[in-house]
Amino acid sequence: MTIRVLDPTNEAAPPAGQPAQRLISLRGTTIGFVSNGKEGAKEFFTHLGRMLETEHGVAKVVHRVKSNYSAPADKHIVDEMRSWHAVVTGIGD
Amino acid sequence: MQLNSRAYQVDDLMAAQELYHSNGWTDGLPVVPPTEGAVKACLEWAGMAPDQIIGIETVREQAVTAEKVAINAVMAGCLPMHFPVVVSAWQGMLKEEFLVHGTTSSTGGCAVLVIINGPIRREIGASGGFNALANSDRATACIGRAIRLGLINILDVRPGGIDRSTLGHPGKFSYCIAEDEEDTTWTPLGESRGIRKGVSSVTVMAAMGPRQLMNEWTHAPEEILETFAAEMRASQRHYSIYGGNQVVVIPKQLRDILQTAGWSKADIGRFLYERARIKRKEWADVGKGAVVRDRGESVYTALDAPESCLVVAAGGPAGGFGAVIAPWMGHKTKAVTVPIGACVDCGPEEKKA
Repeated sequence: MTIRVLDPTNEAAPPAGQPAQRLISLRGTTIGFVSNGKEGAKEFFTHLGRMLETEHGVAKVVHRVKSNYSAPADKHIVDEMRSWHAVVTGIGD
Repeated sequence: MQLNSRAYQVDDLMAAQELYHSNGWTDGLPVVPPTEGAVKACLEWAGMAPDQIIGIETVREQAVTAEKVAINAVMAGCLPMHFPVVVSAWQGMLKEEFLVHGTTSSTGGCAVLVIINGPIRREIGASGGFNALANSDRATACIGRAIRLGLINILDVRPGGIDRSTLGHPGKFSYCIAEDEEDTTWTPLGESRGIRKGVSSVTVMAAMGPRQLMNEWTHAPEEILETFAAEMRASQRHYSIYGGNQVVVIPKQLRDILQTAGWSKADIGRFLYERARIKRKEWADVGKGAVVRDRGESVYTALDAPESCLVVAAGGPAGGFGAVIAPWMGHKTKAVTVPIGACVDCGPEEKKA
């Protein structure tokens, strides 16, 4: 005798995000870094920011830190992102 | 009642096991095949439509429906009468302050602890006695497992997928406890967190593993509680310094001493709030001196407030043992208490820490 069983997964895929438009050049741009707030992110992002300014002509680097490393970025950071040309985010465990 | 999930035809029980294991739909243990009849029985018991939305996981924008929660509850071994507890636990987990995505995806592997209060405990046979916190009875074992299976399957919280835990703990198989309300003079946890007297409730907390402690050599309440405070301080030193909710499980032997001396749960919370605290400079003692910096004299409490102490009367009748269950990363998540009831659209009471 066969058994009919049900799929336990959500089946509905989460909404797909769309990649942001790529920059043609970094020269003269404002680049934001959003850190999760962990110790390791601080030095790494600072170093990357310096490289972008000195080697790639980035005009301005902005560093922001999330208030909770396991939650989405705070609203004021997301709002501020709109004035940046690109944003780099990641974890620094 | 029309179910919406995709159905599979399998030859027998063993084939069903292989289907679920091979698709990554289990916790590694055998599951009860979720047939249409078993799933409908759960939904009918709770008076819920299959597509009723229990809540939304907002980070990945995933709706959690009653049907999917029921399928996973059946797989975990739940009976229909267990299902309302599972639903309420999900309602709690999907409250914003619980931070379900963060807590279940974190490298700092924690599990969802479920604490049951009220008359439903006796109706479903949930015991708060011998071997509490670990397969003390069918109800708590299955309900706790249903939460984990649901996370795996509904929110993709699989190891290496959304679940990025460096280390887990055994509570990630099942982590559920019922309070022994009949054998205590203390106010039940649910009631102390705003649930009306006589109404069943469930409290969920993103929790680390239980740390057992022992003190059989005193009748002084302060000395007994100092042992609990010492465990909290130890956790602050070697795990997270931040304060949040802490579960304190007090079995009968130690509980009787505290109750006889007139200590209430609120008294215990106040005592532990005062005693369980460390200075940041203590991190230097345990190898974390690099992040003490100029804040060495800053004081950190294990509880972010006295009322964040979740005292639970549970455990076997003999033995001077107790347990402290630390939160995942202090105050970054909050324990949530919700009432258990078939009606989820009528504005249930809720209370958060």
